[in-house]
Amino acid sequence: MKTALGIRLLLVWVSLSAITAAYLLIDRTAEHHGAPTASTVVSVSAIGLALFKVWMILREFMEVRRAPALLRGLAGLLVGLMAAVLLGLYFAGKAVG
Amino acid sequence: MTTVRRQATRRTPERIPGQGDMWVLVFFESLVFTSYFGVYLYYRGRHEAAFLEAQSHLDLGLGVLDTIVLLTSSWSIARCVQNARRDRHRAALRDACLTAALGVGFLGLKITEWTAQISAGRTFTSGDFFQHYFFLTIIHAVHLLIGFVVLGVLAHQLADPRRRSQKIVETCATYWHTVDFLWVLIFALLYVVR
Amino acid sequence: MTRDTSKRELRLTWYATVAFYQMYAVVFFLFTHIQPPGQPWYDPREVSQWFARHHGGLLFGLALIFALGGLSATSIGLITYSIRRMSVSRAFAYSYLILYSVSAVPGFMFICVALTAGAMRPDRDPKLQQWLYDLGFLSFAGTMGVFLIGSLVWMTAILLDTNGVFPKWFGYLNLCNALTEVVVAPSWIFQRGMFAWNGLISWWVDVVVFGLYTGVFILLLKRMIDRDGPLPAEAAA
Repeated sequence: MKTALGIRLLLVWVSLSAITAAYLLIDRTAEHHGAPTASTVVSVSAIGLALFKVWMILREFMEVRRAPALLRGLAGLLVGLMAAVLLGLYFAGKAVG
Repeated sequence: MTTVRRQATRRTPERIPGQGDMWVLVFFESLVFTSYFGVYLYYRGRHEAAFLEAQSHLDLGLGVLDTIVLLTSSWSIARCVQNARRDRHRAALRDACLTAALGVGFLGLKITEWTAQISAGRTFTSGDFFQHYFFLTIIHAVHLLIGFVVLGVLAHQLADPRRRSQKIVETCATYWHTVDFLWVLIFALLYVVR
Repeated sequence: MTRDTSKRELRLTWYATVAFYQMYAVVFFLFTHIQPPGQPWYDPREVSQWFARHHGGLLFGLALIFALGGLSATSIGLITYSIRRMSVSRAFAYSYLILYSVSAVPGFMFICVALTAGAMRPDRDPKLQQWLYDLGFLSFAGTMGVFLIGSLVWMTAILLDTNGVFPKWFGYLNLCNALTEVVVAPSWIFQRGMFAWNGLISWWVDVVVFGLYTGVFILLLKRMIDRDGPLPAEAAA
């Protein structure tokens, strides 16, 4: 598809795939002598990147970018809520631990 | 003067993609899955060592491949919607078939992974991590299977010029994207979070 | 029968449905403490103690259910009626009616019978009490499959309906409800953890979703009655 929108979709796909592949690099940084270790930095980055990808999918693939304000707002709220719950419970679990 | 400028900069009017009703499902399922993810992360935090050990048996490379396959299927269905919008229905149908093929590919990868884990003795009852792993991946796969039914509806719409409804095509695509972004989260939580 | 009297009868059925769900919630959650469920991992002695703790509440609350539990039929009847109003085949309505009528026995009455039997003789062998306890809670959790199919029948009817009896988003909500029912299935395997019959996922998340879904369909049924009234054929009779 040679339209501007078609190219945009392709670029979004390339970016999302690149971020996904980048997880392989992030993962390497957490390993000590090949054994997996806990890492808050890796976990928070992983969650953050995932939420960014979700936001991109919503905005670009699901066309929320061009949706009425209410839908845009709700989508933003959803991602925000996910961030709060995921990060909140991650740290809560570690604190109770 | 300012009205003319405003009209010139607005490219397309704001519209809800597909039926607004489908978005109710998108938000509802996202919230339900978020609660499942929250439970997983909380349990994980409390039993870090056990979860880490179990997680080391997962293949991150395979997880990355799974994610890229599903992201590609999202891309192809987004293209499908664009093609349908431009009345290029044969191209749209091809995109829909590609989406379905990628979905099948994803399912194949998951089945391979599950079989590998089970033959290594790691099942649904092999501790907390694998309980979460099998639960999340299986419930996601169920959503994917429903996605095939949804794709069938979409293809049915595109195939006949008398039936075509852009709204239904977009509604089906919205569902498929949801299956994709839920996996994006599952992948990060199961395969990467430490 | 005029249009107004017919509408009044529908409203009466609706009030009976609301009364049923309120009674169910109050009895199960407050009087008897059947919900949230007792721990699945209790040994016979602990089960015996659970029955002793809830003895009065169980006998009184479940007696109420035995007397008034038939009100559940109004809910099933009203929903079946709503499906009859749709443009889809009557087979959907009949399937729904049969599914829910049949599942009411194992899914709702059974636990009442089992736990009443457990409570009524406190000096019964604890092992037998544990058997009744398991039977009760497992039948309650385990019959989810029927509700799963029932939700899917209602969902399909709504999505295919051209009369607009219910909004399409409620059709999709039925799918969400059906999928949440699926997650109760592992409660047969686990005595502890999130998939036990009282687990975080099998019970807590499930109950929130089910509660929301029930509240929504009760409101939508009222809207249907107020907005649409009886079918033309009924009003003319």
